[in-house]
Amino acid sequence: MNELTAFVVSFPASLLISLLFDGIDRKLHARMQKRIGPPIIQPIYDLIKLFSKERIIPITASTRIFEIMPIISASTSLLAASIVLSNIIVEVSVVGDLILVIYLLAVASIALMIGGSASGNPYSAIGFSRKISMIIAYEIPMFISVISIALGLSPTLTINGIVRFQSNMRAPSLLLRLSAAIAAAAFMICVPAAASVVPFDIPEAKTEIIYGLLVEYGGPYLALAKIAKASSNFTLTLLAATIFLYTPSFLGVNASQISLLLCLATSLAVMFITITLPRTIFARLKVGQAFRFYWMLPLILSTISAILSVVGF
Amino acid sequence: MGSEHGGEKKIEVEYARLRLPFGPVHPALKEPVSLRVTVRGEEVTDVDIFLGHVHRGIESLAEGRNLIQTLYLIERICGICSHSHTTCFTQALEDIGDVRPSERALYLRTLIFEMERIHSHLLFLGIMAYEIGFDTLFMFTWYVREKILDLFEKVTGNRIHHAMNTIGGVRWDLTQQMIREISVSISDVEKSVKHICNYFRDKTAEDRMSGIGGLDHNQALKLCVVGPTARGSGVNIDVRRDHPYAAYNDLKEDFSVITGRGGDVYARTEVRILETFESIKLIRAILDRLPEGPIRPDENAFRIMRRIPEGESISLVEAPRGELLYFVKTDGKGGLRRLKVRTPTFSNLVGLKSMLVGCEIADIPAIVASIDPCLSCTNRITVVDQKSNEVRDIEMNYLRRMVRRS
Repeated sequence: MNELTAFVVSFPASLLISLLFDGIDRKLHARMQKRIGPPIIQPIYDLIKLFSKERIIPITASTRIFEIMPIISASTSLLAASIVLSNIIVEVSVVGDLILVIYLLAVASIALMIGGSASGNPYSAIGFSRKISMIIAYEIPMFISVISIALGLSPTLTINGIVRFQSNMRAPSLLLRLSAAIAAAAFMICVPAAASVVPFDIPEAKTEIIYGLLVEYGGPYLALAKIAKASSNFTLTLLAATIFLYTPSFLGVNASQISLLLCLATSLAVMFITITLPRTIFARLKVGQAFRFYWMLPLILSTISAILSVVGF
Repeated sequence: MGSEHGGEKKIEVEYARLRLPFGPVHPALKEPVSLRVTVRGEEVTDVDIFLGHVHRGIESLAEGRNLIQTLYLIERICGICSHSHTTCFTQALEDIGDVRPSERALYLRTLIFEMERIHSHLLFLGIMAYEIGFDTLFMFTWYVREKILDLFEKVTGNRIHHAMNTIGGVRWDLTQQMIREISVSISDVEKSVKHICNYFRDKTAEDRMSGIGGLDHNQALKLCVVGPTARGSGVNIDVRRDHPYAAYNDLKEDFSVITGRGGDVYARTEVRILETFESIKLIRAILDRLPEGPIRPDENAFRIMRRIPEGESISLVEAPRGELLYFVKTDGKGGLRRLKVRTPTFSNLVGLKSMLVGCEIADIPAIVASIDPCLSCTNRITVVDQKSNEVRDIEMNYLRRMVRRS
């Protein structure tokens, strides 16, 4: 399979897989709550239904921004997902794609923020300010931990470089370097906030501000926002599974179909630990509490890991 | 799309000071109350409370019906504490007509009453967990509550509207089989409530609830809040102990009145958890000491109803949310001249404003839920904030006209 076909195939594939992951997450969540839960393909049904619904734009919204932002959000997060996914299937080496993925994920959430706040709803305004605080809280430690991994292994900014390093060493980076292990911990603590699930679903807390930024979105726009959310969650877990926990490295295989399956299984496990489990066992925090938490634990962890990786551990 | 609205669009939002409408339709408040909350940033600076969205005119309806029909009507005032309402009403009628229910009937009334308290408190705890974003605890609590509802169905045939009370007694008796089932089920519930208690004492839950929605002892006394809301602020009142009704006089030794210290959301929640244990104790005592005898007079209920003379009475019970008051005035012909219901939520809503001002937006749902508002029974009067300008026209003259017309 050449690079181009891999990339073209991975775009719809990442949409499908991220929706399935969302469905699995919902099913696991329900089973842990003694509920039966929806079928695993429920997110796909949801999308079909939402896309067939009427488009409603509130009178207070600035129409263009309100319409365009969900599209930007969905497409950037899908792009990020497919970049990571295609990296596992074939060996593509684009310099800086690691930074690109992180950047695209940030764009996806910022686009949704702008779109939501363009609706003119006061709840969206509150959601906007909360989301800004949360982005400042989690993006910095997350970025530092990714940089630390890029510096710590063979200094490289390509996902492929990190993957190749791990399969050459026959172990995931988590086990190879102390700095990578700490960075992995920091990254995984940041995932629930980036995915905005309980306890960090503060920007869209449904009982407080009625889904905040998404309050005015409905129909196709909501569907796009859901795609954006599902695929950015998938990207985060897959990225963690690729750069920290590249399990195919034990077999010594490089990018192939087997490594894809192993990677997906790993990222499913990562999703269970970082998204499904916290949202089942915790109560929602307040903005101040969450902010303090992120600037205490993950930021310190990721800084330590960055220093260690520069020193060479 | 939106461009059809053309140049009419304007955004008039002052972002430093927002007015947020909480309700009447809001995912956190499933009850039709509207709070107009003024916020600066995340801080709440002012609150207006608006009621009256589901005014049903039940008191007026009751005046056109006979007493037995009214018994069924007032059971539908509230879906959670339906037994409290009928007990309160039948007590007033029994007082006017001088009908003495048998001991067994009083014990059975008390049994259903305490089961209702458990189910209401579990419902509250579930909602509280939901408001602080703890969905798993919410699901678990309501799963436990189902067991109580199943017991209701076994004993009375209905899960919510038990239709247990009648003038002079109760309508359904307990069999030995039922007594055994209740005591088994109650032990299960006790075990689960202990779990729930531990979950609420968990740090993430406690962080969200302690220190918010404060109502100190003096404020609670001044605002005349009732029930667990008052007891959470350390006010030691409970109708069950202060004015014993039904079988509570015999059961005085079997329960204690729980009071909290903090006066915050956490204290009110804790009071309710501990009260659930007290109710379980009471149920055990009732099942142990259930006296023998008839459960209601042999006479037809309609005969008893027609015998009730003209008169008036005030009756009090401790509903799960606090003191419930009925004023009943009969016309001597099997009907009512006046019925007045003062529900606990109506007293507690007054305290809401002083709890809310100064809190964060994130705390509003938890604080509002902490008084366990049951607005379906409160909506019989409209509260108008005298300070706000937009409701100036609904003032004394309007009310005076209303009074003259009736």
